[in-house]
Amino acid sequence: MLFVVEGYLPSCEPPKARNICAGEIRVAEEKQDLLQLYRFCFLMLADTVKAQEIFHAILREAAQLAADGEAPRDRLWFFRNARWRCLEAGEQGLQAEEVDFGQDELAELAPSQIQKLEPEQFAIWIAAAPDPQRTALALFYLNEFSYRDLLSVTELKPPELSKLLGNGRREFQAWLDSTSPVSQV
Amino acid sequence: MSAVQLSKRDRMLLHCAPIRDEQVDDRALRSAVHHARKTEAYALQQNFDKAATELVQAIPIPKEIIEWVPTETFIAPPRATWKKYAQNPVFLATGIAAIVIAVILIFQLIDRLNRFPGEPTARRLLTTASSNKSMMLDPVKANSGALGDFFFMKHRLVHYDVPPEFADLNTLGCRVFEDEEGQRVAQVWVVEKKMQFFLFPAERDPKTGKAKEFSGWRHIEQEHWAGVVKEDGGVCFMAALRGTDKDLASYVSKPKS
Repeated sequence: MLFVVEGYLPSCEPPKARNICAGEIRVAEEKQDLLQLYRFCFLMLADTVKAQEIFHAILREAAQLAADGEAPRDRLWFFRNARWRCLEAGEQGLQAEEVDFGQDELAELAPSQIQKLEPEQFAIWIAAAPDPQRTALALFYLNEFSYRDLLSVTELKPPELSKLLGNGRREFQAWLDSTSPVSQV
Repeated sequence: MSAVQLSKRDRMLLHCAPIRDEQVDDRALRSAVHHARKTEAYALQQNFDKAATELVQAIPIPKEIIEWVPTETFIAPPRATWKKYAQNPVFLATGIAAIVIAVILIFQLIDRLNRFPGEPTARRLLTTASSNKSMMLDPVKANSGALGDFFFMKHRLVHYDVPPEFADLNTLGCRVFEDEEGQRVAQVWVVEKKMQFFLFPAERDPKTGKAKEFSGWRHIEQEHWAGVVKEDGGVCFMAALRGTDKDLASYVSKPKS
């Protein structure tokens, strides 16, 4: 009988090979996370320059921590850090004008309406939302996080997150209806 | 689409439902998604979210960002948790072995604490009690407390006294015999519960020859027989009956003067 200890492959493949492979996978995943980190910053600010500045600042801080032997424990650290930096940066610049489009029920043709948008338009809409709704929507639509991760980074309780996302969808639908009505799709 | 009635909690959770199933890492949310899978509202939400997600993934990544992404990891390797250790067969086997050893040691310790000088003789006499009949004894109808004088006068056995706890019981008969080690043992049969008393010399220190003393009542059980043993003046007294410790507990729980 062949027993396989978790973390090791059967004898055909030495443990070292698996470790290297796991390490490579981790680096690739982290690279993907960092690209998403930039997108998150962009969604929060709708400003390429500011998003890049914050992205670079976070990487510098992570590198410094890693050099000091206090590397971040998980990828959520990057997004928590980015959230507060983006909110701080958002307060310093021009504030988005508050326009209430109301709320509409989700339309069957909503995907077609969304497809007509540019990513920058969506970022502008998200960046104009008040926090914590802004963070919740930006994190949710990155399609990168589990439910628990979302609760952890947004520091919200399930009913609060639910309300912000539900309202966010309907508000976005109302905005879609006003900017690209179904009749034009 | 079927008309499924969703609970308030399910509806609340569904607003947070991630687009990918593998991101549903909560039992309640998983259940809500399962209930809502065939509803039109959930399908609309999923299509809406998918379209929005695709739009987000279309956000162009500037060249400066790609250049800045490091080739090595910045995230500390995950710490091994106690669960991880527990699942490791080596730690698991060691843990089980340690628990087994600990249990054995505890049993041995309890056994050692229950031991007392003269216990082997007491156990032997318990076997004798289980195999004897009252007919083998000389009929003596008296108060068992009075037998101390009887043993001294007739058999020259000093301090072969029945303790006050059992002194009021009436006897059926008694005898004195020598056990395998040549010790003189007095055996008494009483009316109550067909109980038997044994009086025998306490275990002695082989160097000093002094009797090994112990205080209070000690309990032994063997093959459906129970006994309580007490040492006094170099002589051990044992009351034995067919049953358990509980049957003898009422006699020895309240010391009599």
